[in-house]
Amino acid sequence: MMLKSRSLAWCAVLLVAATIAAGQTNAADNQNPKEREAKLIAVLQSDAPPAEKAITCKRLSVYGTSEAVPALAPLLLDKELSSWARIALEVIPGPAADEALRSAMGKAQGRLLVGVINSIAVRHDAQAVNGLVEKLKDKDSDPEVASAAAVALGRIGGQQAAQTLERSLAEVPATIRPAVAEGCILCAERSLAQGKAADAVKLYDTIRRANLPKQKLLEATRGAILARGSDGIPLLVEQLESADKAQVGIGLRTARELPGRDVTEALATELNRLSLDRRPLLLLALADRSDEAVLPVVVMAARGGPKEVRLVALEVLMRLGNVSCVPVLLAAAAENDAQVSQAAMLTLAHLPGAGVDTDLLARLPQATGKTRQVLLQLTGERQMEGALGTIMSSLNEGDAGVRSAAVQALGALGGDKQAVDLVNLLQKTQNPNDRANVEKALAAISGRAGASCVPCLLPLMQNSDPALRTIGLRVLVIAGGPDALAAVKSAFQDKDEAVQDEAARRLSAWPTNWPGDTAAAQALLALAKSDKKMLHQVLGLRGYLEYVRGDKQLNNSAKVTKVNELLPLIQRPEEKRLAISVVGALRTAGALELLTTLASDPAVTEDACSAIVNMSGRGMQGATRDQRQKALQMVVEKSKNDATKKRAEDLLQGVR
Amino acid sequence: MSKPQIHLNRRRFLKAAAQAGAVLALPQVIPGTALGKSGSVAPSERIVLGGIGIGSRGGYDLGCFLHEPDVQFVAVCDVKANRRKAVKEMADTKYGNQDCATYLDMRELLARSDIDAVLIATGPNWHATASILAAKAGKDVYCEKPCTKNIAQSLLLAETFRRTGRVFQAGTQRRSLPNFAYAIELARTGKLGKLHTLYAHPMGLKTISSGWLPPEPEPPKEEVDWDMYLGPAAWRPFNRRLLDGFNFEKGGGMVGAFGGGGCLEWGSHCVDLCQWANNADDTAPVEYEPTGNQLHARYANGVKLILRNDGWLPLGSCPVRFEGETGWVETGDDAEIVASSPALLARRGAKIPGYPADFHIRNFLDCVKTRAQTRANADVACHAHIACHAANISLFLGRKVNYDPKKNEFPGDEEANRLRSEALREPWRL
Repeated sequence: MMLKSRSLAWCAVLLVAATIAAGQTNAADNQNPKEREAKLIAVLQSDAPPAEKAITCKRLSVYGTSEAVPALAPLLLDKELSSWARIALEVIPGPAADEALRSAMGKAQGRLLVGVINSIAVRHDAQAVNGLVEKLKDKDSDPEVASAAAVALGRIGGQQAAQTLERSLAEVPATIRPAVAEGCILCAERSLAQGKAADAVKLYDTIRRANLPKQKLLEATRGAILARGSDGIPLLVEQLESADKAQVGIGLRTARELPGRDVTEALATELNRLSLDRRPLLLLALADRSDEAVLPVVVMAARGGPKEVRLVALEVLMRLGNVSCVPVLLAAAAENDAQVSQAAMLTLAHLPGAGVDTDLLARLPQATGKTRQVLLQLTGERQMEGALGTIMSSLNEGDAGVRSAAVQALGALGGDKQAVDLVNLLQKTQNPNDRANVEKALAAISGRAGASCVPCLLPLMQNSDPALRTIGLRVLVIAGGPDALAAVKSAFQDKDEAVQDEAARRLSAWPTNWPGDTAAAQALLALAKSDKKMLHQVLGLRGYLEYVRGDKQLNNSAKVTKVNELLPLIQRPEEKRLAISVVGALRTAGALELLTTLASDPAVTEDACSAIVNMSGRGMQGATRDQRQKALQMVVEKSKNDATKKRAEDLLQGVR
Repeated sequence: MSKPQIHLNRRRFLKAAAQAGAVLALPQVIPGTALGKSGSVAPSERIVLGGIGIGSRGGYDLGCFLHEPDVQFVAVCDVKANRRKAVKEMADTKYGNQDCATYLDMRELLARSDIDAVLIATGPNWHATASILAAKAGKDVYCEKPCTKNIAQSLLLAETFRRTGRVFQAGTQRRSLPNFAYAIELARTGKLGKLHTLYAHPMGLKTISSGWLPPEPEPPKEEVDWDMYLGPAAWRPFNRRLLDGFNFEKGGGMVGAFGGGGCLEWGSHCVDLCQWANNADDTAPVEYEPTGNQLHARYANGVKLILRNDGWLPLGSCPVRFEGETGWVETGDDAEIVASSPALLARRGAKIPGYPADFHIRNFLDCVKTRAQTRANADVACHAHIACHAANISLFLGRKVNYDPKKNEFPGDEEANRLRSEALREPWRL
């Protein structure tokens, strides 16, 4: 009983430890290191419950020394605490921990032995090699133990380990062979890192000849190529040309890794020899090589040749390219093939390097036709403000494509001043395409600049052409602010009915400024109450309901009140459904009551019933059991929809 | 973490990606011949997928995978019977057959030669071990984050995927979302001037989650295999409160016993994004220091990385902020981007809120076919995770630590060095 209480107490301690700040937890460890360690060791040597010993092991992993090893070692044979003890023993420096683990290798069995061997591997204990060799060679060994020993030998490395593993490859059962191969690969990697490439090649080649799962053969093939250096090129090419997809895959991986200019050159040659479907893949691999010799290869591929390869090359230049690539990219961007042109444009828009903008700007004055169009587009894409003068002078050029690109660039770069110029341009042009382009540009500037550019846009509302006044309304709404709202409200008095309708539509969709602009709400309510035209009333109602839905400054109760007040104005089922949708999301007692009222309208009974059920299912604030019961009972009685009725019945069960 | 239910079509994504910039616009090299005339994918071109540990987050990921026409999901492995059943039903309903096989031991699933790739969405305790086992078995891997429990695991993960030549994608899907990519492009291309400070938001910097709880009766192995659930984690008795794959040991090895580690859960996303912004995918900060409720780190190039919990613009979860000498940019999961100047946002792409994983998963599948490097490949994930682990170690020790990313050690700091690794429970090894 006492033990149980103590155990629970320690669980609580651990829970507390698990909820306080790490720094605070650590504060408890700020004491004399020797005293602290002695206390931790005492815990392990006491009859403390496993939970307490577990966290003590973890603390010893940071603060323990060889002094703690004798207390940790016995836990290696404890199936509950062995993993905790190894957390400490794996990182405590010095030979004592190694000796403890080696000693446990002779006592532990099964999974605990595997754990001990794994920890020996992590510590790279060269003195454990003999013991590990025994475990690997022991015919009676558990396959998991033998496998762990094989991998551990690989991690530790050295001549004896490598020779044992190499010999074992042909001798061990198939279940252990992948682990032996893994050990061999680890040994080979170590040899290579130590400059013993020939040893590594020999080991890799042995693995490649063995009867092993394919993945191990692939790993050995990669290693065999890397260990050979430039001499590995033929083997690399063999993979790239293989009919086997997995070999191609390891070839592509290795093509990214094997260093050397001669390797790059060989791969560039291979790029033109491979089947068409593989060339893009090799080009991507080439692009990942850190070798400046790759760029000319990619530029060549971008200049011409098979389209599949070209498209990849053009896009790769986005990452690898510099100002020297501008000519080839500009030429591609001006081509008629939409895919090629688009890929080149995208790359040009993002081509890195400070000199790129200067180069593009220098080309602009002389450029004509499609190239001029491309360059103008790029001034916007790359935010080249130095090009504004040239852009302005291009606005009246004869080439429609050039004009369009200039307007688009102005939209991307411009501010209030350019908005004035675009408004002037708009008032002069009759061409519908030009007008559409200018409107897009004005919309872009308005979106960025906001209310500050409204004065630049207002002249459009004075223009005699109703189409321009309509455009004016659209861009004013994007700019937003009180002056824009005033202009939209004034447009209800416009002499042209189409402009009035557009004003109603824009006001109804006044989208971006909620909840800041309550003045729009008042205007919408006024529109909803107007009796001039049904279209305007409907748009006013919809806009106002959306305002109620979106205004974060209104609490749910205020929202219910506002919808309630609006109800007498709503005639059509469409707007009633919108009201139900707004109210249904509020989940309050008032909302429930309002939905109950709406459910009595036959035109929207089902919508209201469905909303009541949804609301009841998700829970709501302030509604009494009686209110919920009544509402759900009403749904059961009025709904003709079986699913709604069934859900209401189910919910009623819960309410009762 | 809430489950975003957004599946965007590829066309919309590519448009957004193109607008977002170079960082997301990857070459399209999947041959047209891979597609059948009806738009369906020829069986020989399908990627045969298995799932390991498919619960809440894994179910979302799997939904994204099943959305892709060139994926054939054939098997699920989970230590929980109810999950095996639910995933089998999900797959069988999708394909109109009963072919999805179920396994309790992942080694049986990995032994199947017909499976090309696996989705690993177990608890974080298993992520590195399962990924390495899968790679050794010749599978490509999409693994949820955090992918490793400590620095040693991070290095072994990268080493194994290099050695095996397998494709790895960490489930850090924000690497494939246009708003993050756009903000990062601003930082990387000098649009903010010389970069000096990066901010990451690893929510719950110092929280922890699991320990040794009072023993409860262990359920039958067929219902829950507790031994397999613990896997490489140090032993402790069954307790249902620990049976939560999302939380169990999610902060790395320190969580099980001490505390700390909270910054790994979100840091694997937001620190990863900072690494990318600093063009530091092949390294990690060299110094870390807890400062109040923050942790201040510094890269060798002088750029500061600040991990903080508050002080953010309201831009949704997982916000990041990059500051340079001439400008700054901040973005988060609601996909909004705020910058020091409107001009910096002129080319921003479509907003895709809800941090969907579709595009990240598509990137993985494309790389399985091309054998190219994924956006969050094992080397990238390795270094981002090392930064988080080093931060955790600094938080745990409650003091400044220095790290050498070339030697992968804390020079002259034995306490910190000992925390770089943790023994795996038998019989597991890396």
